[in-house]
Amino acid sequence: MRRHTRRVYNVCYRFVGNRTEAEDISQEVFLRVYRTLVSYRSAHGGFATWMTSVTRNLLIDHYRRTKRDRLTDSLDDAMPVVESKESSARRPDEQALLGELSGQVQSALTRLSPELREAVILRDLQQLEYAEIQQVLGVPEGTVKSRINRGRIELARILQQMGVRPS
Amino acid sequence: MTWTCDQIEARLSDYLDGLLTGAEVSEFDLHVKGCAECAPLVASVKNLVGEMRSMEPVEAPPRLVYAILDQTLGPREKVTGWQAIRNFLRGLATPKFAYGAASVMATCFIVLSASGLSLRKPKLADLRPTTVYRNVDRQAHLAYARSVKYVSDLRVVYEIQSRLRQDENQLQAAPEEHSPNGTTEKKPGQGDDQTHTQPKQQNRADQLARQVELLAAECPLVLERSVR
Repeated sequence: MRRHTRRVYNVCYRFVGNRTEAEDISQEVFLRVYRTLVSYRSAHGGFATWMTSVTRNLLIDHYRRTKRDRLTDSLDDAMPVVESKESSARRPDEQALLGELSGQVQSALTRLSPELREAVILRDLQQLEYAEIQQVLGVPEGTVKSRINRGRIELARILQQMGVRPS
Repeated sequence: MTWTCDQIEARLSDYLDGLLTGAEVSEFDLHVKGCAECAPLVASVKNLVGEMRSMEPVEAPPRLVYAILDQTLGPREKVTGWQAIRNFLRGLATPKFAYGAASVMATCFIVLSASGLSLRKPKLADLRPTTVYRNVDRQAHLAYARSVKYVSDLRVVYEIQSRLRQDENQLQAAPEEHSPNGTTEKKPGQGDDQTHTQPKQQNRADQLARQVELLAAECPLVLERSVR
């Protein structure tokens, strides 16, 4: 239980960049899993993969809900890849908790578009295999690889713009 | 064929994940070495991926687990008194604790029996350190003596068996022959009377001895190894 909680929380936190929201979404994930456990079939892949899939769906729902609430400007339409506004104004204590570079990577992650963000989180932070990520996202493997690749490159460019140089 | 910058960018993740063939890796490295734009890009992405892989997972707040349990299973009822004690004991009834408890009991039993503490008539004097030491010492020596006796008994049995086997082999090797006189050489101290009843094993041993002596009469070399 704790292992699953930890994993779900990590995915949520890396995606939204905010502890409170990550906690709320994690609770929603477990509630959804608890309610729909009867519909889980092992043909869908392992239990962990199914849970990650539920997490991802809820994160996307949350993103769409909060995007409507966020102020948008023309810059967003012109550059769909980079998010100019994000909800993660990080508190100084959170920054210290994460470690500086880690905090900056987290900050840069929330500036990626959701498709690229989730691909990079699942591959590089959760260390899932391509086949598993394919099951979670429900897209072909070629698309998974392409998103991971573009996500990594964009993330490196954002960090460069922020003046961060990973050692 | 030399790769272009677009190709480098498109295959960058494959390169970092080790999915390119040997030839492709060479082409990739060749382009990157000579390209002022691709070289920093590849280096920064490579460092970034390494950094992300080594990032520690974030710890979930402890209250999250309880909040989840409350939401899914419902809030825990407060129990007091005997109910609480019974719930606690029920929680202990797992294989882990059962094995632990069983091994502790076994250890206690062994220690008690080694220390010589009588459970039927326990005496306070038995708990004195000198008494306990003496009992344990005695038990240890007894156990050692028993094992030594057991091993030496085994050795004796083994020696007897090997001797008998040796005799059988010798008898089978040489054909059985009866002496024309029908009598054996007399051993000093042995009387003419050989009709008294003897135990079966002794009969067999004597029979073997007589047959070996017969052979010895014919073959001087065999005399050296005759069985008394």
